[in-house]
Amino acid sequence: MIPHTHIELSELRVTAGARELLAGLSLELHGGECVGLVGESGSGKSLTSLALLGLLPAGLRGQARLRVDGQEIGFGSREHAALRGRVFGLVPQDPLAALHPLRRIGAQLVETLRIGRCMSRQVAQVEAEALLTRVQLPDPRQAMRKYPHTFSGGQRQRIAIALALATQPRILIADEPTSALDARIAREILDLLDALRREENLGLLLISHDLPLVGAYAQHVLVLQRGAVVERGDTRAVFTAPQHAYTRELLAADQLHALPGPATGAPVLLQAENLRMRYRGARIDALGGVSVRLHRGEGLALVGESGSGKSTLGRALLQLLRGASGRITLDGVALDSLDAVGLRKLRRRIGVVFQDPYASLDPRLSIADVIAEPLRIHGIGNAATRRAQAQELLETVGLDADALDRYPHQFSGGQRQRIAIARALATSPDLLVCDEAVSALDAHHRASILALLSRLKRERGLALLFVTHDLAAASTVAERIAVLEAGRIVETGSTVEVLGNPQHPHTRALVAARPAPMNAVGAGA
Amino acid sequence: MQTLRSLPPLARRCLAALALLAALCWLGPLLSAYEPHSPDWNSLSVPPGVNGHWFGTDAIGRDVYARTLAGGRLSLTIGLLASVVALVIGLGYGATAGLAGGTAERLMVRVLDVFSALPFLLVVILLLTLFDRSMGLLLLAIGGYVWIDLARVMRAEGARLREAPFVLAAQAAGASFSQRLRWHVLPNLLPLAFVYLGMILPQAILVESFLGFLGLSVDEPSASWGTLLAEGVQELDTAPWTLLFPAGFLVVTLAVFQFLGDGLRDWMDVRGEGGRAERTQPAAA
Repeated sequence: MIPHTHIELSELRVTAGARELLAGLSLELHGGECVGLVGESGSGKSLTSLALLGLLPAGLRGQARLRVDGQEIGFGSREHAALRGRVFGLVPQDPLAALHPLRRIGAQLVETLRIGRCMSRQVAQVEAEALLTRVQLPDPRQAMRKYPHTFSGGQRQRIAIALALATQPRILIADEPTSALDARIAREILDLLDALRREENLGLLLISHDLPLVGAYAQHVLVLQRGAVVERGDTRAVFTAPQHAYTRELLAADQLHALPGPATGAPVLLQAENLRMRYRGARIDALGGVSVRLHRGEGLALVGESGSGKSTLGRALLQLLRGASGRITLDGVALDSLDAVGLRKLRRRIGVVFQDPYASLDPRLSIADVIAEPLRIHGIGNAATRRAQAQELLETVGLDADALDRYPHQFSGGQRQRIAIARALATSPDLLVCDEAVSALDAHHRASILALLSRLKRERGLALLFVTHDLAAASTVAERIAVLEAGRIVETGSTVEVLGNPQHPHTRALVAARPAPMNAVGAGA
Repeated sequence: MQTLRSLPPLARRCLAALALLAALCWLGPLLSAYEPHSPDWNSLSVPPGVNGHWFGTDAIGRDVYARTLAGGRLSLTIGLLASVVALVIGLGYGATAGLAGGTAERLMVRVLDVFSALPFLLVVILLLTLFDRSMGLLLLAIGGYVWIDLARVMRAEGARLREAPFVLAAQAAGASFSQRLRWHVLPNLLPLAFVYLGMILPQAILVESFLGFLGLSVDEPSASWGTLLAEGVQELDTAPWTLLFPAGFLVVTLAVFQFLGDGLRDWMDVRGEGGRAERTQPAAA
């Protein structure tokens, strides 16, 4: 009989100088129970896990009361440190960084077993293989002899879990264990953690920014905002009747919406036929004959997992790829009939917003210069009129005019994405291409940027081409969805039909990868 | 300047030492009564300290102190100018190749490979022997020797910038090649290029000294550290100080530059990590 473990952490306070990062947080963990800790970046959720492990970074001061199975343990004491491995195991966010790149998987496991559990080499070999079997890694015996880079992201995370289990901890702390993985793989990893919890009576602290995901696995949820718990309770209660406005916002960000069907009668704006692309040295096509059509003022989402070719398609349509073939027409003008100068002129009519808000803006340009750049490229107006226009655009995207003379590093990710949108709108384009434009943002910023895009689409009659892996985001701005798999479109149709009644097995898998409570297609927006 | 303050202490001390050295080379002659080129017939080959010749004199009575500093002025000037030549060529060539990508980039890298494969010093020596030697030719020759590594680094960084979203966004907005090069790639490469300046300068000084030693740099009576070394070697038996002082200055200068280069490299690594930390933050969100 495995003893029941009970951890109580109360009144956890962490300060950096005069700044309070965590204000009196309390947390209880039981064997066989999963507790979800949810919040945005900077809310203090990773800090909580570090404090629990007694690994606060230098410069931070922490104090708390810690009880393990009813026994008082001095916070930050030697006994506290001794809990690592024996009581707490850590599942890292980035398994590639957590595994030694130059040592075989087997050697890393055996080393941990020999040090952590004083096993002989032979016993450790057997145990290591058993651990890999437990985390359902295919062919454990072979895997022992391989290096970390030969495994996929999901397999690496399984190996990292095996490493965490090697010292027989009673509680697993999983800090964003799936944020680097596709939705489908993420679900497999969480299913594994869930099985370990049920079968071996392990306690689980699941830390994530993704409330619906946590909701699908945790029995108990804590919502953190700026270092304080704003809501806690049974998962079911929190999901069905969220008390705090912040929780409601987090939940709404992931709700599927249903936009009215495609506007009929609008003329075709963009048409692409038989797009093909193969990267140098690749054995298969990144795009294998894709055709898309986009009407004026319409939103089209290109959805797929990473590697499905959706970003390649986006870039091919933008004519930013060397070596892509196919026929693209914008408003009846075939792009391949244009010379370089003609193509550059035509680019005024297409705006683009990229994924990474931190890399999308030239760090050496002021915001005024960033936004006015497309105008400068096309020689529109003079310095003064361009500045005035930049100011107007800033207001359009909801930023103050005093941002004009500041520099990109002074803004948050969400604000930078607004600036990128302002730049894309500078030449009043007919089409806005968003390549994973909200994927790098917090739930809060994601919702506000999506609202901004919907408003721009409505007010300016802008057509949107929305490349994403996020079905919820796609459903808020697009009337139509095209699902990509391995460089081909496998299903296309109105958002309501595709999400409500998916036909192709791949689409069904994508929809099913979302946590169950979120899949009712609401009549929102 | 905040950039200077963020430098590691070692690099800052090296910069201070170089400033001191330059000040000595340009202001030091004011302290001594002797000219670098005029012989003192009363003291031929006297050891340091005699008749107010702090570093002694050479076989025809020229003051070694004055000559060492004059040589320093020339060596540092030629080194700096040649490095700037290398910087301009390397930055321009590397950035163009990196931004161009594709076949053009591959061709331009091949050209660099060909340059690296040539025994370049031999080519330089031939050049300086065959043609009329002039300052311009000398700068071009030394700059031509040290620009290749710089061009490689700039090419790699330029290629990274070509795929950077802000450059892609400019391209998508219709920016031409030269607009992207001038507005985004060159300004973003410039800080890195200046850091590399600290690393190629000692190379340039060394090459100049080497050419000077072979008698291919400046002509008598002008002197650089290299030509002084050549003269000093011939008097090694009778007046070793004529070799030791310029050699000492050259060694100290190169060592200081070496430490400065190390410091700058560390500094860039630290900043690189800071940049990466900033990148990973949104991913952790």
